[in-house]
Amino acid sequence: MIALAGYLAIFIALGAAIGIVIQGIRYSRTGDASKLRLPTSVLLGAAITSFVLLEIGILNSEFSIAYIANNTSLTTPLLFLFAGAWAALEGSIVLWGLVLAGFIWLVWRQVGDNDGLGVLALAVMGAVAVFWFGLMATAANPFAVCTQAGSIGCVDSSWWPFVESVMPVDGRGPNPLLQNNFMMAVHPPLLYIGYVGFTVPFGFAVAALIRGDFGHTWLDRTHRWSLIAWVFLTAGILIGAWWSYEVLGWGGYWAWDPVENASFLPWLTATAFIHSAIVQRRRGMLQAWNFLLVIATFALTIFGTFLTRSGVIASVHAFSQSVVGPVLLGLLAVIVIGPLGLFIWRSAEIAQVPRLDSLSSREGYILANNLLLSVFAFTVLFGTMYPLLVEAASGDEVAVGRPFFDKASIPIALLLLLVLGIGAVSPWRVATPKLLWERLRLATVVGLIAGALAVVSGIDSTSVVLTIVLTFFVVTAIVVRFVSVVRSRPGSKIKASGKVLRNEPGYWGGQMAHVGIALMALAIATTGGLATRSLVALNQGETAIVAGYCVRYVEPVSRVEPNRTVSGVKVEVMDGSCTDVIDTLEPRLNTYPGSSQAIGTPAVSTGFVNDVYLAIAGGSGERIELNVFVFPLQWLLWAGGAVVVFGGLFAMIPKPSRQHRGSYSSGSTEPAVESEASDE
Amino acid sequence: MSDKGKNLVFGVIGAFALIVIVVGLAEGDSTAPTDAERVDALASSIKCPFCNGESLAESQSSVAAEYRVIITQRVADGATDDEVIDEFAANFGDSYILDTSTSRWSLALWLVPVLAIVGGASVVGWMYRSGKQRTKVTP
Repeated sequence: MIALAGYLAIFIALGAAIGIVIQGIRYSRTGDASKLRLPTSVLLGAAITSFVLLEIGILNSEFSIAYIANNTSLTTPLLFLFAGAWAALEGSIVLWGLVLAGFIWLVWRQVGDNDGLGVLALAVMGAVAVFWFGLMATAANPFAVCTQAGSIGCVDSSWWPFVESVMPVDGRGPNPLLQNNFMMAVHPPLLYIGYVGFTVPFGFAVAALIRGDFGHTWLDRTHRWSLIAWVFLTAGILIGAWWSYEVLGWGGYWAWDPVENASFLPWLTATAFIHSAIVQRRRGMLQAWNFLLVIATFALTIFGTFLTRSGVIASVHAFSQSVVGPVLLGLLAVIVIGPLGLFIWRSAEIAQVPRLDSLSSREGYILANNLLLSVFAFTVLFGTMYPLLVEAASGDEVAVGRPFFDKASIPIALLLLLVLGIGAVSPWRVATPKLLWERLRLATVVGLIAGALAVVSGIDSTSVVLTIVLTFFVVTAIVVRFVSVVRSRPGSKIKASGKVLRNEPGYWGGQMAHVGIALMALAIATTGGLATRSLVALNQGETAIVAGYCVRYVEPVSRVEPNRTVSGVKVEVMDGSCTDVIDTLEPRLNTYPGSSQAIGTPAVSTGFVNDVYLAIAGGSGERIELNVFVFPLQWLLWAGGAVVVFGGLFAMIPKPSRQHRGSYSSGSTEPAVESEASDE
Repeated sequence: MSDKGKNLVFGVIGAFALIVIVVGLAEGDSTAPTDAERVDALASSIKCPFCNGESLAESQSSVAAEYRVIITQRVADGATDDEVIDEFAANFGDSYILDTSTSRWSLALWLVPVLAIVGGASVVGWMYRSGKQRTKVTP
């Protein structure tokens, strides 16, 4: 029953998406958005229905549906049952479709009368929806019924919903790794909202290209959408990194795994796009570049999905194990070739005379960082695809991993930080050396002093010292700029601070994000370059000293929880003299039914200076082997990330209207520098 | 303090700090990595077989754990990093060595991103120059 209803909902959504495309094209000349009311509403309704039906099926353990039988079980806790809807391929596409339908409906609500661009953009987004719901209706049907049950789970299923279904006794349950931490329930939806969100600027960009509307209207219309998508993508990546750190037990948060790279790539190009969009809106430059970046970002989100879903990454030899792989690859080709063809066809009209007055200017530095971000993205993409390329070209097998990505990204990231610091305080058009020195001298000196102190205190890694210098440089430069803008205003400094922030939410939100990025860079350098890794073997009651901490093995612990068997060890973390207990931790191994492999779960004691990270490496009972990692300033990575996300959200606050601004600047002399601080 | 005076103070302090950094870093790496750090670096340079492309350092599979024990043993026995890598390359094949620096494909891997940045910078330079010329024509 649920299978049939769910299937029907998907077909209705598919029909509605086709309706959006047809109506969108039909009314793109008149721009009559009211003609899209029906299909957008039906699309949203059907997408919600399909998602809700999937959840109802999961919560009722409707194992006659193959997806539910293979990704949930009777013992799965409620939270992970709920999250089971996006724990595997077919279900995650339902969530993807739901998010897309939501975005389309929200965009439709903002499309006014006589809005040809908006209506055509909806048609483009509708075409993307046709693809996703078409995928659900064919190759990746989440409601496929089970035709042959295994001892647990479903072995064979049928696309056709009217066949006689069988009901397995119990389901397989989600992948053990996915039910080890609640963050796994949050991470995919955040990423999806980020990924799908870029469909909006993509839709408007393609619509603008078709209409020959090369001005910055499409950027004005989408700049908040791009920010929303960017914020969610950022948060999704951060939470994924946090999950990797807290759950996987290898002592890191980023492995340069192809799937991680797949989420980082659109983040890089989207970051570049958000900045270059500002340049076009402010200075009219980079029109063509913005079209390219937004197409690239959208293509990379699909590429990411393709990488995660097709089986290419599980083994670089088997290209596309799942049927979804070729379909996604086909879409990727359409997305890259279609809009690119459109872009090339239009390029003669887009290309305007470049107007870069000076390389040393806000737009010049943004352009430099756009270049660096793009090269960064290209390098990560190239490294990720390199084994496939080499194998295709010569048959040789090579592997590219952490050593390459770490080495390649450090210089790019350091340059990015340097240019970011200078660009953040540069005025538009021309930043004279005199002005730059005035605004940056304190930051330069503070950065150098911080670096000197680091060297004196014994840090001898060049990349760590450089990162310390640049972090202090960037943060000081931005703080100095803020203070000087506030100072130039009359009256109470607290009130003035509020006014400065409120006047330019875009600019200052951006600067908050920049501060967050600098803090994250510092944490990445310290946790990577100054970490202590040690493997200790301890008998019960014994202690070991690692990096100034004393760890004591207290006792083994084991218990049976409803969905897993836990076997762990109780360990006390003490100061170097083994007297004061700082924290009592319980690193453990969890065993889930349906999986013989125990999943290690680390335990972390977070401190202001260091994280002490414990993971079981081997042994049991009387004698255990424990990985003891000490990561300096690890918390700063998460805190910096939170600042970045907050900055992105702050930048979305609408700017006060001109009139309003005039009303309170009329009484006082508006400082001339004010307009230079502004970004739009 | 006058602006000139400020500049002088900032300049002197900054230059002094810069000298400290340069001299300090030039003295170089004084601390040799611990065995555990070497094991981690080695394990993250070798791909784990049957682990969805994870390295030996990241994978939580029992296979990876066993290979980490082997690396730990070899490092404790006094084997150099190159020796360990060579042993794994001989056993697993070159395609399992994530550090490509010894492979003949290494050059292209590094060269292409460098070319990308040079190419991109040239385009920006061209944009800048053609912008300048335009300003000359229409002052």
